[in-house]
Amino acid sequence: MIVAEQKNLEEIMRMIAPYERVMILGCGTCMTVCNAGGERETSFLHGALRLAQSKSGEGTHSFSEYTVKRQCDYEFLEVLDDKIDDVDTILSLGCGIGVQAIAERFPDTPVLPGVNTAFMGMAKEWGIWDERCAACGECRLEETGGICPITRCTKGILNGPCAGTKNGKCEANTDMDCAWILIYNRLERLQQLEKMRRYYPPRNFLAVARPKRVITKANTEAGENNG
Amino acid sequence: MYSPAENAQDYGPQRLVRHPNRSLVPPCQAACPLHMDIREYVDLVAQGRIMEALQVIRNGNPFPSICAYVCTHPCEEDCRRTQVDNPVAIRALKRFAVEFGGDRMILAEAETTRSERVAIVGSGPAGLACAYYLRKLGYAATIFEAHTELGGMLRVGIPRYRLPRQVLDTEVQRLTQMGVEIRTNTRVVSLDLLFELGYKAIFITIGAHQSLKIGIDGEDSLGVIDGATFLREVNLGLKPSLGDRVAVVGGGNVAIDAARTAARLGAKKVIILYRRSRAEMPADPEEVKQAQEEGIGILYLVTPTAIRREAGRLSVTCVKMKLGDPDESGRRRPVVIEGSEFKRKFDTLIAAIGQAPQTPGEFGIRIGKGSTIQVDPVTLTTNRAGVFAGGDAVTGPATVTEALATGRMAASRIDDYLQHRYPVADKVDRETLTGDLLPETIQMIRKIGRIEPAILPLEDRAKDFKPVELVYDWETATNEARRCLRCGMGAEILFQDKCATCLNCLRVCPYHAPYIDDSGTIQIPVEQCQACGICIAECPAKAIIMRKPYDRRHIAEELEHTLKSAAESKYKPFIVGFCCQYGLFGTGALAGLWRSAKAGVWIVPVLCVAKVEADQMLRAFEMGADGVFIAGCGEQCARENTASWVQQRVARVRKTLAQVGLEPERLHAFSPDMTNEDPARELDNFTEKISGLYLASVLMQEVKS
Repeated sequence: MIVAEQKNLEEIMRMIAPYERVMILGCGTCMTVCNAGGERETSFLHGALRLAQSKSGEGTHSFSEYTVKRQCDYEFLEVLDDKIDDVDTILSLGCGIGVQAIAERFPDTPVLPGVNTAFMGMAKEWGIWDERCAACGECRLEETGGICPITRCTKGILNGPCAGTKNGKCEANTDMDCAWILIYNRLERLQQLEKMRRYYPPRNFLAVARPKRVITKANTEAGENNG
Repeated sequence: MYSPAENAQDYGPQRLVRHPNRSLVPPCQAACPLHMDIREYVDLVAQGRIMEALQVIRNGNPFPSICAYVCTHPCEEDCRRTQVDNPVAIRALKRFAVEFGGDRMILAEAETTRSERVAIVGSGPAGLACAYYLRKLGYAATIFEAHTELGGMLRVGIPRYRLPRQVLDTEVQRLTQMGVEIRTNTRVVSLDLLFELGYKAIFITIGAHQSLKIGIDGEDSLGVIDGATFLREVNLGLKPSLGDRVAVVGGGNVAIDAARTAARLGAKKVIILYRRSRAEMPADPEEVKQAQEEGIGILYLVTPTAIRREAGRLSVTCVKMKLGDPDESGRRRPVVIEGSEFKRKFDTLIAAIGQAPQTPGEFGIRIGKGSTIQVDPVTLTTNRAGVFAGGDAVTGPATVTEALATGRMAASRIDDYLQHRYPVADKVDRETLTGDLLPETIQMIRKIGRIEPAILPLEDRAKDFKPVELVYDWETATNEARRCLRCGMGAEILFQDKCATCLNCLRVCPYHAPYIDDSGTIQIPVEQCQACGICIAECPAKAIIMRKPYDRRHIAEELEHTLKSAAESKYKPFIVGFCCQYGLFGTGALAGLWRSAKAGVWIVPVLCVAKVEADQMLRAFEMGADGVFIAGCGEQCARENTASWVQQRVARVRKTLAQVGLEPERLHAFSPDMTNEDPARELDNFTEKISGLYLASVLMQEVKS
């Protein structure tokens, strides 16, 4: 899942300042799961913005709110067609993908990001989220016992651990597990410790050309443009 | 029909989701012959809303004060709280509601809108209930009673220490107020005569007053009396002389009643002879316990085989029994142990082994097994046109509540008959909750033992016929009522299409109720949910609702109402408090908060603070509140984790307050200490703090302008 964090209220207020009619648009998928921009957060932000406006005594915004199933697909955005003319901007609580999808779908309406998209990760427990994948495009989890050193090692090194590990924790943050110790323990458990003896050559960052595209259509030529 | 699509986007403070009652019928209600809305009135008692509780009780029961004393409470047998500790004391709570809600003051009114007159033969609970509902339906009704006073078994069978006669008299008076014509001392000998008198329908409810014979030698001796006759004589004011030693034969409620009555009449030694063991005894265990406390002896596995009158006393030959194979009633059949005869001397022997109806042959109605009247179970009709029957006369000895239910049913069947409608069986529109609590759920449910109502001290009991059981006090009643698990009204994912399967509900539920089914969909099993409301306030998709709407007071609705009233008031500072309606209001502490609160404090009663959502706290500030507090019931809470979820939301909203330039301490959550003499002190402190902040902000504004 994509994990994000709602932006500071102050920043949001600064962004919406030039616009009068603001639609706060929630997303019913990843942003709901990570408690950043689901229906509940949308309506909480709505309340907070109105409260801020009434306390400051300034600002003439009128707010509306709506939550779509998923912002990152045009088809789900169709329901906004008859509402878009009534707003001056959309404050999207979707991830960066959702914000861009809206920008593409409604080219005449400014869209503002209401959340900071943080990472791809999972819930450790209720209310705590951890990063798990950096979408590097060349997955090596097979070699590292299913634990990603690129994401979970502070340095992202491929041949660890480094000298900064102490009692299984990382020198950068002593609360954080050293990914390479985790990898070692897991490989030991799987009786695959020989994988620790191998040397992994440095990643070729040149090979990652952005923006990336994945094609699952088998019977057609790759399309042009990227959006 | 409620459409989720219509409401799904109507959020924000204006979001007032109204949906119909989708809750399941709880087992207690299903077990009640009258199908009373027990969960509802118990919940109202838990909130201290006694008069509303009484209203709910009266909706389902014509004579709640009678049931409050003598109901055999099959509801408690089926109460799911039994799986956790002990059942909720439902009957005692009803008694509390009836006594404290002012049932005696309620006037029953009825108007005659129909021309047909109906005769009711017999004035037991079935007859009285039938008369009550016939009047409600607009028919003129006449009750014929052979005895001097109305009530049937309620009057002549049940001893006064179990049902005070004033209670019965109040109900009878209420029937008179409703315009029921009453003919006491009138034995009906011919139904034809009643039809000739112009009655269009007759309801026969003559009860089962004929005691069964034990069938042994010497049963007709002087000094042997049957249980029903004995109780009737005592209840009608006679004082039979019993002598010192009394034996009672039988193990039902009548036997226990007879024994306890004999003790109260001055018998020195009363012994019950029962042919099976304690486990098979049909009498109410509570009554048996009280009887034993009063010094009544019980000989189990003993039955008399012969009675002889010798020198002015009874010589009773008894034999010991052992238990054999189960009989058709499922109880183990007693078998005589050969050679175990023994003799005992008694002055009086009361035979209370059962009763049967005795229907006059002149009625010309078909009699079936055990001398009972044969009726159609749906229409209650006998073989004679226009003649209906019900109560013990049809079923054999049964309970008061069952008789009331039959009386109510008879009234509507008679209505069907007189209005030439096809009679249909009562329709059940909601499903009944089935399924047991899982061990994991039981483990998480807070164990709170059942609080029995106090009973009259032993030394006050045996002397006279004062009611033995006392009524709850206010605080005990609300605490007992809060033990209810609110079966079948918990959380439900109403908007499955909105559910993002985020698993928040699964993670926040203190009872581990939600689970992921085989298709990967989240399910909240209704039989495990404890209706605490935490998942409803935490669901990020707002996809979960309560199966039953939050009472009549939806929090958001109540909040808007309060904010509107407050806006018209000029008191400052303006403080909004979300207060738990259960512990606080129920035990009177909320009333205490109200009384001692300074002007400008507005209280939104909530059914558990765990249901207060973060946006509702913000909304109060938006509408001009200078401070907001949340008062939970703290340690008294019957649910788990509620306070910590309030703290979590408060911390969240405080952050937002800081961001908009309001002091975070304007929002405060606390649990008034019930043991403290002044639970309102914390509120006073808070009010003072908010007053300070308010004055400071006023000054700031003046400086600015």
